[in-house]
Amino acid sequence: MTLQISWALLLPALIPVAAMLLVLVVDAVVPRASLAAPVIGALGLLGGAVAAVPGLDAGDPRLTLCTPAPDGRCMWDGSPLASTLQIAALLATLGVLALMSWRKAGVVDVVMLLASASGAVAVVAATDLGTWLIALELATLPVIALVAWRDRRAAAHGALTLLTTSLVSFGLLVLGAALWVTATGDPTLTGPSLATAWAVPEQRVLASLATVVLIAGLAFKISAVPFHAWTPTTLTSGPLPISALLASASKIAAVGALLVVLAPYESVLDLSPGPHTVVAALVIVTVASMLTGTVMALRQTEVVRLLAWSTIAQAGWVLLPLTALSVAGRQAAAIYVLVYAVASLVAFAAVRAIHGQHVEDGRELTAYKGLLRRDPIAGGTLAVALLVLAGLPPGIIGLVAKVMTIRPVVDAGLWPVAVVAVVAAVLGIAVYVRWFAVMFGDPDASAPKRPGRRRASVAVAVAGTAVLVVTSVLPQVLLGLVS
Amino acid sequence: MALILMLLAPGAVGLWLVTGGRALAPATARVVALVAAAIGGGAAVVASVMRPVIDRAWITDLGVRWHFEIDGISAPLIVLTAVIGILVVGHAWVERPWESPGAGSAATYLGSLLLVITGALAAFAARDAVLFFIAFEVVLVPMWVLIGRYGDPHSAAKRADASARFILYTAIGSTLMLVGILLLVARAGTADLGALPRAAAGLGSGEQVLIALLLTIGLAVKVPVFPLHTWLPAAHTTAPTAGSVLLAAVLLKLGTYGLVRLPVATVPDGFGRIAPVLAIAGAIGVIWGGLICLVERDLKRLIAFSSVAHMGFVVLALTSGSEIGLQAALLGNIAHGVISALLFVIVGGLKQRWGSVDLAVVRPALREVSPRLGFALVLGLAAGLGLPGLAGFWGEFLALVAAWNPVHHTGILRTCAVIAAVGAALAAAYALRVARIVWVGDEVTADAVDQAADTRGIELAVIATLAVAVVAIGVGPFLVLDVTADAVATLVGGAR
Repeated sequence: MTLQISWALLLPALIPVAAMLLVLVVDAVVPRASLAAPVIGALGLLGGAVAAVPGLDAGDPRLTLCTPAPDGRCMWDGSPLASTLQIAALLATLGVLALMSWRKAGVVDVVMLLASASGAVAVVAATDLGTWLIALELATLPVIALVAWRDRRAAAHGALTLLTTSLVSFGLLVLGAALWVTATGDPTLTGPSLATAWAVPEQRVLASLATVVLIAGLAFKISAVPFHAWTPTTLTSGPLPISALLASASKIAAVGALLVVLAPYESVLDLSPGPHTVVAALVIVTVASMLTGTVMALRQTEVVRLLAWSTIAQAGWVLLPLTALSVAGRQAAAIYVLVYAVASLVAFAAVRAIHGQHVEDGRELTAYKGLLRRDPIAGGTLAVALLVLAGLPPGIIGLVAKVMTIRPVVDAGLWPVAVVAVVAAVLGIAVYVRWFAVMFGDPDASAPKRPGRRRASVAVAVAGTAVLVVTSVLPQVLLGLVS
Repeated sequence: MALILMLLAPGAVGLWLVTGGRALAPATARVVALVAAAIGGGAAVVASVMRPVIDRAWITDLGVRWHFEIDGISAPLIVLTAVIGILVVGHAWVERPWESPGAGSAATYLGSLLLVITGALAAFAARDAVLFFIAFEVVLVPMWVLIGRYGDPHSAAKRADASARFILYTAIGSTLMLVGILLLVARAGTADLGALPRAAAGLGSGEQVLIALLLTIGLAVKVPVFPLHTWLPAAHTTAPTAGSVLLAAVLLKLGTYGLVRLPVATVPDGFGRIAPVLAIAGAIGVIWGGLICLVERDLKRLIAFSSVAHMGFVVLALTSGSEIGLQAALLGNIAHGVISALLFVIVGGLKQRWGSVDLAVVRPALREVSPRLGFALVLGLAAGLGLPGLAGFWGEFLALVAAWNPVHHTGILRTCAVIAAVGAALAAAYALRVARIVWVGDEVTADAVDQAADTRGIELAVIATLAVAVVAIGVGPFLVLDVTADAVATLVGGAR
């Protein structure tokens, strides 16, 4: 059996891998060149993103890794939606690399970041379960190492939590994949084979079960309730840039993976009986995440913990449109996760810029008093990020993303979910406005000193804010990418 | 061009003032803001006369268009917003909330005022349902800043509570409205407010009721309709004078305008079904507001509750479903905007002079200490109680007429009309109570004149403008009615 391979389409994943190898080789040959690793890594990430740009054009299908006809199946689909997520994941990783600061990012950090990025790129485009599983783990496992890499006891604890979670999640995903193959007799995630299986009651039950198990496995990675327990621990104990990675690039990868799993359901949506089990599973996870995450975030006073709980709440918002299982729903989820990833990256970068390298202590909300006056750049970018997360103008893109996510739900007539979304939206405003309110006013004498070296963090925050501002004025720029 | 200028001048200057120009000296910032408000206001008046159209694609995936157009229903409200906008910025020469301890800079204050005005103008001019929602949301954060940062300097906790209440209540309302809008747009297939009534005419009655319910509850928070009004007194009492004026004269109007534009215009049958409930809520609001005003000690809070009562009349007029009812609602809207603006400017001025406006404190008679201010207060109170010849009369009179001859649910609406008429009597009672305590007041002591210097300068100009408007609308209600007549006729006719 020969595979038809079009290398050009695989470049977004291959360039980071090549950069990773190059970093290792350079390190072996010239071990003293400490700047080489981050530079090569940055170029690799950027190159991958550039290579994914042609995929944004919705012209012809960009399928590759295909088995020969007649029953040819392709294992790689570089659709505009996938390409958008790829670019976003790569650029978010680049932002995280910048947050790590050039001096401190060692060879190991860069290699892990590149591995995770290439995994993220592959998983959103994969359409067969084998590639999908491997790519998903490739996207996740390096992050565990990154959390633990700095030898702090708390970090090791966080890494252990993440590792345990990942193992459970991996077990569920393998089980789900096996069930899927059993149900459909097809190792690729395609609509027609699911539709064929749907006609037989036993296979239908099995396929639903497979999907529910896969959703559960992915819910760990998206940090949706009830699979969220690792998130606050890991995000607060690990290094801040890695928390930013978990909240941005990793989130994009996980949501991209979920979109791949749910894509086949479009072809069974109108059949009778419809995919009620899958919808029910999604609804439970969505509602639980939105409410728990928001309410818990409302109680936090430590900012990273607040951001961690807000991640959980926002995971619910990402899942919200998916409950409709429609194309519009998948597009809305992609848009929402992109907006969320940029906003949370900005928030983490701003927190980093405010507290500097040693950020573990004093990250209380009170430390942000008068920030807008004391530190207009970090404060301003943080304010924009919070408004986008809350969905309040002038952060119009956050509002548009919320409108997009509610629309498919209303379209599908899922009223209970829509009502929960209304409650969560209002509580969410309370969460972010609470932080926003602290930043006004006169600075205290007890305010933390502005750290000396923070150019990279400020640059990431400003670049992310620029993206948010531009998309707020012209939301179509972002929305047009995925349609 | 006029439309672009109307939104761009206050919007861009407002944004600049809250970001880049925050450090601007108060004197400069005031002039900049006043110029921006004047340009925007002038453009708004021109645009209401010329009626230009902007219609461009904005978010094609959501079908949202950058569509602004002014018609007979929005024109009076746009003019009202423009005038109030200039007045509140001008009022910054009188009340300087940035000088109180813990408040932000003058530029942020003025910028927030301008942004609220921009949002309101955009919402009134928007002809796209989703765009209306977005413009509606624009006012939230700047208004929250105004209440939370520049409000009552006595209590930080009260400010935080009032501003949080304002933003959360409004957010509940607007999110419910969003769900209603999305459902309406999804079922009707268009977001164009002009095309929606026809497109939505074919919807099933269950769907119509659901859409009307979502939209009405959402907007009722903003109006506010009893029992969803509990955010209003806190916000009004705490906000600086300019904030109270904007809230009463502009933001509440967004709620009633939204009711006219969305449920009444697009799903009239569904709205007709829930109209009795809304009418009862409106009538209770009239009585409730009136009763509280009879015993309330804080004058600012009293005016806020009287707003609830006045908006009850407007809502009652809307529920009648007739042409005259809509006319009454729109006229009542404008009248209440002018009257409450006048009263809040006066009461805000008194609060600044006296430190508090507790009615239990015995104070020298206003008519002797500061006769001009006293006259304006009496004028405002008289207009508020619905004295013929002043602005308040026509809106309430026509509202009662409309509720007596409704299109449907005659029995319930007539009952509500009777209840509301009793409420109007209550309005007379509390207005006289305030006049007796404040205007007639107590014996004048020697140093009283210093405590409450009479109004002059810019404050006098602001008060005089509003007072003239109160009289003008009272003498010639046709000034407003003529403008709205055609649009209302199409609206009601299209619904048939």
